[in-house]
Amino acid sequence: MRSVASKLLNGVLLVLGVTFISFLLMVWFGPDQTYTLIGKNASPEQIEDVRRQLGYDQPFWQRYGEYLRELATLDLGASNASGESVRALLARTVPVSLLLMIPGFLLGNLLGIALGLTAARHRGRWGDRVVTVLSVTAMSISFLVVIIAFQVLLSTPYGLDLFPVRGWQVDGFVSYLQYVTVPTLALVFVTVGYNTRFYRALFVEEYGKDHIRTARAFGAPERLILWKHVLKNSMVPIVTRIMFSIPLVVISGSLLLESYFGIPGIGQATFEAITSGDQPVLKAVVGLTAVAFVLIQTATELLYRLLDPRVAR
Amino acid sequence: MRRRHTIALALAAGFALLLAACDTGGPSGDQPSAASVYRHAMDGAPRSLDPAQASNVYAKMLTVSLFDTLYRYKYLARPYQLTPNLAEAMPRVSADGLIYTIRLRPDARFIDDPAFPGGQGRAVTAQDFVYSMKRHFDPKTRSQGSWLWQDRIVGMAQWAERGADYDQEVPGLRALDEHTVQVQLVSPFPQFTHTLAQGFAAIVPREAVEKYGAEFAIRPVGSGPYRLQRFDSSGAVLARNQGFRQQPFSLADEGFDAATQGHLGLEVLEGLVPPLTDRIEVSFIAEDAARWNAFIAGEVDFIKAPVTQFDRILSSRQPAALTAELAEHYQLAANLESGFVHTDFNMDDPRIGRHTDPVQNARNAALRCAIVKAFDWDRRNEVFYYGIGQVFPGIIPPVAEEFDPSNGDEWIRRDLKAARKLLGDAGWHAGNLPELEYGFPSSVTERQMFEQFRSFMGEIGYPPEKIRPLTFATYGDYARAYLNREVMLITTGWTMDYPDAENTMQLFYGPNATPGSNSANYDNPEYDRLYRAAATMAPSPMRTSMYRSMNRLLLDDCATISGISRTLILLWDRNVTMLPDRSFVGGFYFPFVAAAEGEPRH
Repeated sequence: MRSVASKLLNGVLLVLGVTFISFLLMVWFGPDQTYTLIGKNASPEQIEDVRRQLGYDQPFWQRYGEYLRELATLDLGASNASGESVRALLARTVPVSLLLMIPGFLLGNLLGIALGLTAARHRGRWGDRVVTVLSVTAMSISFLVVIIAFQVLLSTPYGLDLFPVRGWQVDGFVSYLQYVTVPTLALVFVTVGYNTRFYRALFVEEYGKDHIRTARAFGAPERLILWKHVLKNSMVPIVTRIMFSIPLVVISGSLLLESYFGIPGIGQATFEAITSGDQPVLKAVVGLTAVAFVLIQTATELLYRLLDPRVAR
Repeated sequence: MRRRHTIALALAAGFALLLAACDTGGPSGDQPSAASVYRHAMDGAPRSLDPAQASNVYAKMLTVSLFDTLYRYKYLARPYQLTPNLAEAMPRVSADGLIYTIRLRPDARFIDDPAFPGGQGRAVTAQDFVYSMKRHFDPKTRSQGSWLWQDRIVGMAQWAERGADYDQEVPGLRALDEHTVQVQLVSPFPQFTHTLAQGFAAIVPREAVEKYGAEFAIRPVGSGPYRLQRFDSSGAVLARNQGFRQQPFSLADEGFDAATQGHLGLEVLEGLVPPLTDRIEVSFIAEDAARWNAFIAGEVDFIKAPVTQFDRILSSRQPAALTAELAEHYQLAANLESGFVHTDFNMDDPRIGRHTDPVQNARNAALRCAIVKAFDWDRRNEVFYYGIGQVFPGIIPPVAEEFDPSNGDEWIRRDLKAARKLLGDAGWHAGNLPELEYGFPSSVTERQMFEQFRSFMGEIGYPPEKIRPLTFATYGDYARAYLNREVMLITTGWTMDYPDAENTMQLFYGPNATPGSNSANYDNPEYDRLYRAAATMAPSPMRTSMYRSMNRLLLDDCATISGISRTLILLWDRNVTMLPDRSFVGGFYFPFVAAAEGEPRH
């Protein structure tokens, strides 16, 4: 309990640090939205009016204090570009991104674990080489090329023409499958290489440990060694990798997919906020991502205890 | 085992909740499958649907479909012609050109919305027009269209200064009765009726603006032919406004020309009542590859073809024609843009522009003219616009009636010998040429254009290291820099707001210097005098001649490297009967699109 409380306390400091640095960057280096919001032939007074409305005339510390207040009260304001309340924007876009990313994320990791195990088990032999070559190939191809290739192959008359090229007209499970399949395949193709390489290294190390040799000496069946000793003992790094990928996957990982497949998720909204300097949206996304990291860090701590009793001691 | 079931159940429930949370109400969910649907792709997206912020072509396309403007452009007439929309007739203008009296149609109603008592839309009145115009001058609106009427309407500036109280009257903007408005101008403004056909001039109900506040930008309530069903970063869905006024379509009234438009099959629309399609699904697809794939797959009915595809889709350039295979399925329109691309010199920068020393001033002029003469428009056109853009000298683009086709091409024809001579005569050589800072918002294409510019200049002996890029992460940052006079060479484009050359001539009018639209900070007393004299004149041969003289002055001063109007290749499915337009007609053509009934392919 004390450890969890300590993690949370550290988390608060982390959130303060992240929000401070990101806000500093937004204010000093971020785009000035004034000039995208003024009309043609604006007078200096009109420019000043817009700056005032955007709060650019306020001192930095006052603006930062306001940011913390907004985060604490979840009163996140409204987008400067569209006027939409940031809470409504998050409620509209985050579920879309989750639905888009979850299948690819899960499949990418499960496949990575399976292929990593296969490669580690057959280390140095053909199975290992094939998996390694395929992984490196998948890692070497640009995500953009993969997306376009999958679109052409699966969604256009030049290929199989089985799925929509783009869009997100989801009103049930069937339409969901229609729209999520191609982005998921593209995501799996790109991530499975990285995942396999990571998990392979992990399992190779585990396979080389004394307790595995001992189990083998005892004549334990290979399947038991695989599941009970290699996989189970690797759960802590696996959980760490998966858990800490979640916020990034939800926020940034989906940008290309959302953009090319025309999916109205949070990645797209964040990208637009970054490029246009829409600070209310950006502040909310950065702040809430930091909070998500803290919560995940705490949840990961609890999971460690379940997976490895030594951590609890 | 039981615990596993509980976890599985919880995960399934969470997933179902997520699905429910992002139910977009797709086509199968909220409309009969027999409804006709037109699927339009845009290569960019609007961020706001508030008419006061309809500052780009994407926003205008949608706002004029959701709201009403008093006037619009005829669907088929070329050159473009104004016609009444919500107004009953063209305005009655006083002899001195100062008072415009306009009668509104009595049968226009706002759509039903919770903003109105009982949720029932009400009639559009003259007061709504007055309110909508006042809004532009209320700082809280953050209007991007107020410049159209800035210092034009009697008493408006004072009204804004007094605190923009909507219950206070503006002397020059009055509702004479329920359906008649009268506008009194400070001085004659012959383009005034054109401004009433802009998305900015759309009529909004006060109740909805006050109820939704800033969110009015995403919850538009208007009286246009469509109402908004969905709007997000990927697209918008518009559904027919069932209460839209009944105005049968007439080919003659819309300016149909059988000789040039007979192949479009528009005759079948005669007598039908717009809007002719139940639903318009607009997809915002900025990426060329994705847009093309969506079109080929039949997921959208219309696209502006990416230049990267021109090679494979066109069988001839002049006139633009589709390959036989594509022509079986698609129609094509080669739409000359209502604007142009140009690169201005910052005349306020003493290294290249005006200088207090007359000798240096003359040397700077020679340098600018040498650069203009060294610029190779043919190669620019070929490499970036597939050779089908139209290059012209100056700032009166071919789409404007004032365009002078007989204007000499000495300012757009490359002449390296003359350029080198200008430099030599003015004493410029590689050692003393100033460092050129060429500004642009960061993008691959802009960078390629910069490199091409640098290579052009290299051919007159300009050292490459003396021409450096000044890049900006976003267009907003770029705009801030050049509006603060920090950019030496400003690459930019202008899309005309209305088909009258006044709209481009004002780009170089001295008093419009930055932060106004005169980004070159050009200041020529003769040009300004002619501009002021022409500004109050109705279109006439004399005014055209004055505009052409101004164009000549600008070219002689070498204040800009200009310009090219791009040819846009618009493609649409043969199942859709229409003539698309990205120019002044813009979204005004949506109600006249006749799409086939039935479900989309996927």
